[in-house]
Amino acid sequence: MTRAETRVVMLAIIVWTVASIGVAWHTLRGIDYGARSRDALARAHALRGRVPTPAFPRDLDVSELAALHKEERPLVVDDPDGSEIVTAAVKDADDWDIIGAVGLYGRWRERAFATAWPAVAALLLGVGMFAGVRPVRDASPRAAAVGGLALFGAAAAATAVQLRASVPALASHAELPASLSRLALPPPSLAFATLLLVCLAVGGALALSAVHWHAAAAGRPARVQETLGAWAFIAPSLLHLVVFTIAPVGFLFWISVHDWDLLATDRPFVGLAHFREIGADPLFWRALRNGLVYALYVPATMIAALAAAVVLDQPLRGIKLLRVVVFLPFVASTVAIALVWQWLLHRDFGLLNVALAAMHLPRVDWLGSPATALPALMLVSAWSQLGYMMVIYLAGLQAIPTSLLEAARLDGASAWQRFRLIRWPLLRPVSTYLLLTGIIWSFHGFTLVYVMTEGGPAHATDVLVYRIFQTAWEFRRFDVAAAMSVVLCAVLLALTALQWRTVKGEAADV
Amino acid sequence: MAALELRHLIKRFAGGVVGVDDVTLTVGDGAFTALVGPSGCGKTTILRMVAGLEEPTSGAVVIGGREVTHLPPAARDVAMVFQNYALYPHLTVRENIGFPLKVRKTQGAEVARRVAHAAELLEIGALLDRKPAQLSGGQRQRVALARAIVREPALFLFDEPLSNLDAQVRAQTRAELVALHRRLGATMLFVTHDQVEAMTMAQSVAVMAQGRVLQEAPPMALYREPQTLAVARLIGSPSINTLVGRTTGERFEGALTCTTTAAPHGDVVLAVRPEHLVLGTAIDAAPATVLLVEPLGPESLVRLRLRSGDVVVARVAGEATCRMGDDVGVRVAAGEGHCFRAGDGTRLT
Repeated sequence: MTRAETRVVMLAIIVWTVASIGVAWHTLRGIDYGARSRDALARAHALRGRVPTPAFPRDLDVSELAALHKEERPLVVDDPDGSEIVTAAVKDADDWDIIGAVGLYGRWRERAFATAWPAVAALLLGVGMFAGVRPVRDASPRAAAVGGLALFGAAAAATAVQLRASVPALASHAELPASLSRLALPPPSLAFATLLLVCLAVGGALALSAVHWHAAAAGRPARVQETLGAWAFIAPSLLHLVVFTIAPVGFLFWISVHDWDLLATDRPFVGLAHFREIGADPLFWRALRNGLVYALYVPATMIAALAAAVVLDQPLRGIKLLRVVVFLPFVASTVAIALVWQWLLHRDFGLLNVALAAMHLPRVDWLGSPATALPALMLVSAWSQLGYMMVIYLAGLQAIPTSLLEAARLDGASAWQRFRLIRWPLLRPVSTYLLLTGIIWSFHGFTLVYVMTEGGPAHATDVLVYRIFQTAWEFRRFDVAAAMSVVLCAVLLALTALQWRTVKGEAADV
Repeated sequence: MAALELRHLIKRFAGGVVGVDDVTLTVGDGAFTALVGPSGCGKTTILRMVAGLEEPTSGAVVIGGREVTHLPPAARDVAMVFQNYALYPHLTVRENIGFPLKVRKTQGAEVARRVAHAAELLEIGALLDRKPAQLSGGQRQRVALARAIVREPALFLFDEPLSNLDAQVRAQTRAELVALHRRLGATMLFVTHDQVEAMTMAQSVAVMAQGRVLQEAPPMALYREPQTLAVARLIGSPSINTLVGRTTGERFEGALTCTTTAAPHGDVVLAVRPEHLVLGTAIDAAPATVLLVEPLGPESLVRLRLRSGDVVVARVAGEATCRMGDDVGVRVAAGEGHCFRAGDGTRLT
């Protein structure tokens, strides 16, 4: 390392040291403890009787403190030992009632000890930085690792030292005026400084490694460099994915094995207890079975969609308009669809029943009877998905070269043979895609159930996602709901894996 | 096997575009006829009308004495090899070849026997269990051929089957197709825009332009005695040289002069094949400047500019003795050259 670089590093260490000592000193002088003091009081209360309490001037009780504190000035008294104690009243969270008092030793000696710790931490960090930056010049991967490790170790040590920083204090609770506890109060800047140190430790180590790594880049094969470039490009969306998808899923798994109450502070690990609970819950199995039955609308819709696609594939006048009309439900809001169909299926005024009545058939309470509610939902789902599936099939049909069908005609294949032997097999990847994604979607189905039936009547339309929603938000059993979500996740994962394998197998074919 | 007859075939597309304009053509039993012409001349449309994929506006298609104009493709007993081969990608080679038999509910053992026979004929026995995606262009072409011959149709149709092959495979396949035709003795109609293919393979070539058949004749007759200027221009590579002038009864007079038997006419186009231009310093040679010499090995092409500004190409045997920029003399070989009327391009001789 050149002298100039050394100077820069030394300067950085000095700046960091001075700054951290300054921050520590300033916060101690200000004694703006607020909520932290209340924590101290609570701790003092908890410690009462377990640690020896020091003698305290008899003439200092809380009421007196309070009276003095109204003037908003700390009271300076002398300890019997001759120490100077700065006391301050502690108010409740509303800043209304005085709930106790905290006394800090005011002499410089105690304060100096408190501020010495950050200084030591800073020094350690400085040494770590120095050791870490030094090997930048020799650009070997090993040096990079050593440098990063040195910085990380130093920063970790500095964090540990920093955490030791405390100010000796006395605390008294308003309800127990005569009792005082001796405390080690953390300086207010501790949390921030610690966080900073941790960030430096991790970030610095990473940055250093990256610098070394970059320095060694020339010797690496182009393929590795390309891979790294690619990773750099996807990093932003990867970060988004990690923060908003992978992390929540991880949290879900965590919740599912803990007793997790929104209000309780204690959330013990319970293992698979919630899974056993849902396993024994007939409603869960009912929901799972309903989901499987509900998923049957997917193949049914596919058949209809394929038929529609074959019809709409003809070059007829106005066919494009017809395609749009068939596709339209897919882009409509599900809630709107649900509301319209609720009306169409209404027992007394619904169009469907009016039509039945006109044909002198008995009215059916479509959504109100357990036997018809789920089929009715399937019908609505089929109606809303038909257009989408039709469009995908249409694209699939149009992707089949005309010459193949012409060749089949010349080979003597009838229209049905051309469909069965040429079109249908060539559409197989499309069908697999539609079937599996459709089933995955169907297991996600929530809006229709929520708006149209709320799982009823008599749990006839209770599907898994609705069950999860109800368990979490109506019964406030987040942990059990999480366990159900894990099961749903497993089911969907299995389906996805199946889809992955099938699609891959077919891609090799064509 | 059967003969194919096209009688006054007309195809008018939506929007009034005439694709095929009154074509009458006969392909004799066991004959190999090529339809050649620039793209858009209607040759593929004719093929598709013969196959039954396209309905003619008027006229008749007769195969083996039976009128099939309005019959569906399956009822015509024709097989077609498509430009992109149209192999079924999800079926193996064996299933592809057997497909025409399978849809006709032929017995399994019979299918196997005939597929094996066709595969043997085209030397693709080793490929039977592969999918089309695993084959090279030449192999796919053979599979398409095998699928065509497996059901022994009355008529084979080829829609530019060689255009997707690379040059070397194409030359080889040409020879094989001719051999296949001889062995099967089948009637074949072959569509191509490549006059080399048409000339080398077919027994009879029909030259088409703008929906009409300009001339149908055996290849060399077509080359030697083109009936119109358009045919003269379409056949031969490099293209025939054309010069404007007039005939006086025994001579053509223009940028070049030559003897001719054509009647006197004021507005004549002389067409001379490159091999019939002779370089040298004979008395009647016209002066010209060499623009470019293209050595091809056994022969050379010499591009010349005449004093009139016309550019002509001469084909000389072996290596050309002249260089770029040389001044040379050029004349028409004795007895060669075709005279056409300038207006409608009809032959004057």
